[in-house]
Amino acid sequence: MSAESDALIERVTEALRVVIDPELGYNIVDLGLVYSITAAEGGVVDIVMTTTTRGCPATGFLKDGARDGAWAVPGVEFVDVTLTYEPHWVPEMMTDAAKQHLGFA
Amino acid sequence: MAGVSLSRWTMSYFAAALVALLAAETMMVLGFGFPSAPVEAPATLVLVHVVALGWLSLLLCGALFQFVPVLVARPLHDNHLPFATLCCLLAGLVLLLCGFLQLDGTLEGDWPLLPAAGSLLALGFVLVLYNLGRTLWAGRPLPLPARFFVAGLCGVAAAASLGLIFAFVLTGLATAPPLADLAASGLPLHIVAGVGGWLTLSAMGVSYRLLAMFILAPEDRRWTSIAALWGGIGVLLLAVGGGAGAVLLNADPTPVFVAAALLAVPVLAAYGHDVIRLYAKRKRRKLETNSLMAAPALISLALAAALLLALLALGQMPRFAGAVLYLLAFGWLSGLGLSQLYKIVAFVTWLECYGPLLGRAPTPRVQDLVVESRARKWFYLYFGAVWFGTVALLAEQALVFRGLALLLLLATAGLVVEFVRTRRLADVAIGPQGQDVPHRPRLLCALVAQP
Repeated sequence: MSAESDALIERVTEALRVVIDPELGYNIVDLGLVYSITAAEGGVVDIVMTTTTRGCPATGFLKDGARDGAWAVPGVEFVDVTLTYEPHWVPEMMTDAAKQHLGFA
Repeated sequence: MAGVSLSRWTMSYFAAALVALLAAETMMVLGFGFPSAPVEAPATLVLVHVVALGWLSLLLCGALFQFVPVLVARPLHDNHLPFATLCCLLAGLVLLLCGFLQLDGTLEGDWPLLPAAGSLLALGFVLVLYNLGRTLWAGRPLPLPARFFVAGLCGVAAAASLGLIFAFVLTGLATAPPLADLAASGLPLHIVAGVGGWLTLSAMGVSYRLLAMFILAPEDRRWTSIAALWGGIGVLLLAVGGGAGAVLLNADPTPVFVAAALLAVPVLAAYGHDVIRLYAKRKRRKLETNSLMAAPALISLALAAALLLALLALGQMPRFAGAVLYLLAFGWLSGLGLSQLYKIVAFVTWLECYGPLLGRAPTPRVQDLVVESRARKWFYLYFGAVWFGTVALLAEQALVFRGLALLLLLATAGLVVEFVRTRRLADVAIGPQGQDVPHRPRLLCALVAQP
């Protein structure tokens, strides 16, 4: 993976921190809802993500929000967002910052 | 799998339900119906049905139209039908109340209001059963909370059928002896099917899922949860099925009701064990208002069960049945309903206003749409008024009860103001506000551009 791709992924990750899960009130990156971000040649970005609950009414908004957030990053030419429930999200996937924010036990 | 859509009419159900709750509490303050009037008085029938149908059933229907699709990860079978359903239920309720007032001559005229009301209400509930039934059917295999809803829907079918029989017999349109027997002695069956089956089993299903979801508790399927489900169904079958059998055989149904009450104890114990475990195992240590205020509602259910057993043991159940039902209706069902409404109104409003902005602009959290410290005071006042009101009913102090009903009305009005402020985005201080929000929410229905 080139340094250029790494830098793009870093910028996309940062951009996705604007997108919050409305219920938990924290960004989807630190909540562990973004499973992977890959960048291919030509600024093509693939995001694989999930939601805290299958069937959540916010799912479509979260997916579109991730797409729009990533697309606004300079250097990104195309974004594909895939939703998955394999594996199911569990609270242990959160970063320490998110756990602390939610008073995670 | 895309997310399910918002139920457009859920907010309309909530608004109608809250109007009915405020109306019922005003009646209690004014001394209209029990305990200021006898249990069997038409005024009491008006009060009871404003609470059971106008408030609790509309609240539950609105919540299920939104919640069942989330639970089974399938869209609602028909997203337009809830409006027609609401019209049927509201028209049926108004005719029913007029029919009750006709019984004691408050309303003059000999129109067959009760059969018309019963038919409209039955039609409304058939539409509910059809729409939710088709949605649940498409979502098989059903998760455990959804199975509680199936049992609850069977309960409403039984309660509505009995209500329809009462209406036709009372107005002389049905004269068959079995129907007349059911109308004469079937009131406890109607109450158990409605309060125990429809409202309580559904509320248990809601609490299993919503509590786990909001406090990040593990949702592992345990034998106690399965015991609560099948035990609850058993109680319903025994009380309603067995009770109806006893009435039709001209036998005393009291032993059947006592057996059902005794069977309900381990069922509620299993449910209580699960709920305590959910709170104990939660990952989210700091509780939000909706989860915190569900606790006194659950305590009210335990208190009502203990009171029921004590009254049965003392042989005082007929005399104080009103106190048990009051604690169940206002402490358990209404308390749980109001606490979850506090979250659902904010969540739906957030989706309407800020969902389309995700990824494009900083957005507030759902919690930023409400002021929890302010709402909590109303909840404390609410539960205090309910619990002391129950004591007043047990002490047969009707005037004291009316005073406490005034506090109940005040607390409910305070919460309704909070709900309206949430819909108006009046407390939002983060992200786009006022005219900058592209989708301003309407008070009575949810209009959202779903992705």
